[in-house]
Amino acid sequence: MAENYAIEGIDLTRSFSGFFALNGVSIAVPRGEIRGLIGPNGAGKSTLIDVLSGRAARWSGRVKMFGEDISAMSAQQRRRSGVARSFQRTNIFPDLTVLDQLEIAARAAEIPNVDEIMSELTLTALAHKRATDTSYGDQRRLDLALALIGRPKVLLLDEPAAGLSIKESLDLAHNLRDLAARWGVTVLLVEHDMEVVFSICDRITVLHLGNILAEGTPAEIREIPEVVTAYLGSTV
Amino acid sequence: MTNTVTEESMVTPSQPLAYTYAAGIAIVAFLVGAGIAALVASNLAMTLLTQAVITGLLATGVGFLIRQNGMVSFGHAAFYGIACYAIALAMRHGIVRAELAIVLALVVPTAIAFFLGLVIVRIPGVAFSMLTLAVGQAFYEFAMKARNVTGGEDGFSVKLPSTIFGIKTAIFQNPHTMFVVSWGVFVVIVLFLTMVATSPFGRLTAAIRENEERSRFIGYETVLPRVLVLTLSALVTAVAGVLFTLYNTFVSPDVLHWSLSGSALIMAIIGGPRLIWGPGFGAIIYFFAKDIAGDISEHWQAIIGLILIIVMVLLPTGLGGTLAGLLRRRVGYG
Repeated sequence: MAENYAIEGIDLTRSFSGFFALNGVSIAVPRGEIRGLIGPNGAGKSTLIDVLSGRAARWSGRVKMFGEDISAMSAQQRRRSGVARSFQRTNIFPDLTVLDQLEIAARAAEIPNVDEIMSELTLTALAHKRATDTSYGDQRRLDLALALIGRPKVLLLDEPAAGLSIKESLDLAHNLRDLAARWGVTVLLVEHDMEVVFSICDRITVLHLGNILAEGTPAEIREIPEVVTAYLGSTV
Repeated sequence: MTNTVTEESMVTPSQPLAYTYAAGIAIVAFLVGAGIAALVASNLAMTLLTQAVITGLLATGVGFLIRQNGMVSFGHAAFYGIACYAIALAMRHGIVRAELAIVLALVVPTAIAFFLGLVIVRIPGVAFSMLTLAVGQAFYEFAMKARNVTGGEDGFSVKLPSTIFGIKTAIFQNPHTMFVVSWGVFVVIVLFLTMVATSPFGRLTAAIRENEERSRFIGYETVLPRVLVLTLSALVTAVAGVLFTLYNTFVSPDVLHWSLSGSALIMAIIGGPRLIWGPGFGAIIYFFAKDIAGDISEHWQAIIGLILIIVMVLLPTGLGGTLAGLLRRRVGYG
């Protein structure tokens, strides 16, 4: 049943000057799953997130959320329908306080207060600090909080642990795993940190040059020789 | 929105209380202005002050656009000049009563800004500034070329009735009384813009200015809020145009020229565009600096340029921003 898939990309194609960043990619993530999306640089991971979230222009195929076609929706409409995302680079409001920006996001999500999200992502003590005056790790958590506010149905994360220490990455990953389970959020996670991906994802999709190379549980992915050769090497 | 996160938030003044403080400050500011008009006998000084406050309103419009949208306009004289010409032409041709002409002078440039904004606010950075310059100069060229309508380069005098909205027109032409009127309007507009800037709408536009992409991805449409800021800024500018016409009773294409927009921008930068009152403060400094520099040398623009360079390099928040910062440190606020 298509309705069981929280987010679906069907035959997605996007090219830049003849180079196919996505070449007819189809992906379906069941409700409540944390799906890892891995692959070398240029594999099309961020492009896939851009297409699913409504950021990309000029692409073909279809995007569905719980069976409903959302291909024609703008980024804002998709967010209001329940598709949230984070970005490869920290994408926050640097000059606003942590509280101010979360309240602005809360107003869009029509939720009455931001106490819960601040507490979940340990931002409460930073409420009145300008985002630019907080540490990089705090900014990544704030970025995640902006995406998670209003409990989206689908969360698309583009390298949320980029630039974090190993401990910070794993803390963030387990925080995410816990939240996604409790709030029933389906997650599609692009991440280069294999420790993070293999520790929290239910299934993993491997992209290579705009095509899906493999898909399976973490254990299955570890056993696929092409994936190990092309991407994992001896890291897992 | 409820906010129970920290002790600090519990001692932050609530918004209605902040508005009460702002209203109190506005009343005191108005009384200070009225006091200045009563105490200063010099017509020259009051003329300068009146011109400064009226042009300060134009600069406030320019500054508000920078503050809320992060956009620099080189064409705000268009909204100012259209307001001037709307009254002047209506009076010249006896099309409508003066009161309705004033309403039109506020509505027409505001409506133009709204429809123009739907297109141009989508254009980022320097391209936006160049577009505003082009649009502004188009209106200027029209005023220059359409001699039959506008009187061309020579301009024309505006004949006003003896009373407008029941107020004797002579009040608008005396620098002392007009200063009080203009200052009162300035204070009300600064109070209003402060309320807008601190409202949820103002916070949203500040967020869009900071990071438009993120604003879209938390679910906001980002074009209309920016259009509304441009519209509001044009309305403030149109108010300045109305006051100018009532005071000066003469219009010429100079009121549409890009150099007026440029001067307003200089005033906003000198005063500090991050403060609502900063550009108005900058206008007062600009006018007095121009007057003093004009006495020293015929090349007064060079002196103004030097002041601008010094402010931009040494005081990036403008003179108003620096003063406000010193005051905050002095009283331990903020």
